[in-house]
Amino acid sequence: MNIAALRGVIAGSVAAAACLLLSAQGSAATPRPDFTGVWTNAGAPGIGGATRAAPTPLPFKPQAQARVHAFEELMKPTGDSPGGWCLGYGMPGSMLNSGGYPMEIIQRPDQLTIIYEAHGETRHVYLGKRNAPQADRVPGRNGYSSAHWEGDTLVVETDNLVDQVDQRYAHSDQATVVERYHLEAKPDAQGRRVLVADMVMTDPAFYTAPVSAQKKWAEVPNGRLLPYECAEEVWTQHLEEMAKKAGVPVP
Amino acid sequence: MKRTVLIACTTALLGFAAVASAHHSAVQFDFTKQVPITGVVKQFRAINPHMQLTLQVTDAKGTRDVELEGHSTNNMYRSGYRKGMINAGDTITVNVAPPRVGGDGGYVVSATTAKGEFFGMKSSRLADAAKVQATAEGR
Repeated sequence: MNIAALRGVIAGSVAAAACLLLSAQGSAATPRPDFTGVWTNAGAPGIGGATRAAPTPLPFKPQAQARVHAFEELMKPTGDSPGGWCLGYGMPGSMLNSGGYPMEIIQRPDQLTIIYEAHGETRHVYLGKRNAPQADRVPGRNGYSSAHWEGDTLVVETDNLVDQVDQRYAHSDQATVVERYHLEAKPDAQGRRVLVADMVMTDPAFYTAPVSAQKKWAEVPNGRLLPYECAEEVWTQHLEEMAKKAGVPVP
Repeated sequence: MKRTVLIACTTALLGFAAVASAHHSAVQFDFTKQVPITGVVKQFRAINPHMQLTLQVTDAKGTRDVELEGHSTNNMYRSGYRKGMINAGDTITVNVAPPRVGGDGGYVVSATTAKGEFFGMKSSRLADAAKVQATAEGR
């Protein structure tokens, strides 16, 4: 190799290294926010529900409106709810309400695990190659959630929901929910980080237009979720009934 | 004993909450009112979605067992309750939201234990909650 060629190789190497360095710096300049932590409802402590609820009346299609009305009438005498029977809220209720109880987020680069204290509802939010093929996604009340980053905003898309007329934001199994999570630029008055989720639910079977709401959480420093066993009461009563029928004391 | 009472879940008192009873709903109770009930603990369970309490009460109506329910274990702990504070045989006083239809029973929103310890909830639907709390704390 002659000197000119050697200079060319060196110059090229330097340029490539510089590009890599700049690229790395560029990445370092926009790190992904870490949502890991325990979060409680922002504002008044312990109060559930959306920070900004969807405008009412919700844009139900007539058939959906009829189903929701029938459900509400059925529940009216007792005020029963799925939670009262130890059934989790399901999306979007788990995210927007969850009884005012806190939630915990555990974040990895390819997965976020969200645990809502009430009923121990858990959502697994997958990123990139961690995602399951569409055919392998199991429908459920919280559906299947995949996510990607848009700058410092985590965009979570949830599908494979089941029909849930028992939700505050009732929906069919055709519903999809998009949540956009970001941290507010400034902490709240108590110095806590504030996490914001802007939610849009689309459901062509239930609604004539998308349904939007917003939820805010404040971080609980060194926070811990408490266990929430809910079926214990039902089991205990069943056990007592069994013992009574058998004519023996409860073991 | 003074005890700091934490602000806790009010949604348990609103019909849509997760902590509505497995068999009843909080909607059957009148949370605009608080009624003190003193009695001897016959049974107490700190469980979810509702604590369960049976008090033997003696008043003008006579002596009888009164079945009560209240907040979830989680919310009780957040409002100051700790394991062992209520035991069978203790004489305690509870403040309850009474049944809308009248009669015995109610939803326990706060309690003063046999040792004078207080725990309880503050709810936006309890106009006098702050007063109750202040009274219980001796303020």
